[in-house]
Amino acid sequence: MMSSIMRESHIMKIHYLTALVAVGFVIIHIMVRVMQGFSDSLLFDNVIANYKSIPYAIVLEAMLILISVHGFNGLRIILLEIKQGRVYENAVTYGCLAAMIILIAYGSRTIIMASMGMV
Amino acid sequence: MEKDRKEGIKGMANPGRYGIERVAYWLMRITGLGLLVYFIGHIYETSSLLDGKAAWNSMLELTQTTEGHIFLALVIGMCVFHTGNGIRLMIAEAGFGFGKARRPDYPYTPSSLNMKNKLCIYVSIGLAALAMMYGLGVMYDV
Repeated sequence: MMSSIMRESHIMKIHYLTALVAVGFVIIHIMVRVMQGFSDSLLFDNVIANYKSIPYAIVLEAMLILISVHGFNGLRIILLEIKQGRVYENAVTYGCLAAMIILIAYGSRTIIMASMGMV
Repeated sequence: MEKDRKEGIKGMANPGRYGIERVAYWLMRITGLGLLVYFIGHIYETSSLLDGKAAWNSMLELTQTTEGHIFLALVIGMCVFHTGNGIRLMIAEAGFGFGKARRPDYPYTPSSLNMKNKLCIYVSIGLAALAMMYGLGVMYDV
């Protein structure tokens, strides 16, 4: 169980911290889109150019990790509120952890390949 | 209370009872799940970049419809409410905005369920509505 690895109070601190930092990065992400003109910023060449900018790629990667950690921990909290029990709690915790790792890996693949021009 | 126990989880979940705090409780969870679903979809959507320009453009066309714009406006609203209410909860968990502990006298109004917290919830809902209108304005080039 996650609580045997880490105290729930520490997990909640991570939950709040990831939320606050992610809000800052999401604001940067939206500002980049709006400043370029919303429609123009979504053109294929513009999006690829965004990925090729290393600082922006780092922002995207950080956002991917922060939101995944926050989102799947939130899902874990909701599911643990509904039902309790050792087997169920373990299944929820490790299921959410696995889903989080898969999503981060899948999103990182896009960021790395696009920023390296492998498109 | 007795009625609550008899109703079980339905009684606890009833958003029509206990005022705006219970509505905020539900909205927080619904918007959280909605944003997680959108985030997974967004990661999948952006991965179409790797299949070239045609794949990206056809994926983008899905969001360039009226339904797509309404969906994105809802995502903006969910994001703003979740952020606003989340900050309120963090402040509350830090122990601020609860009022002072006092002797429980009739009518036993809990000091924690005060106007400050209620106001924050209403402001979060209001900001979400404004952000949705702004987002629709940007998407429709108004």
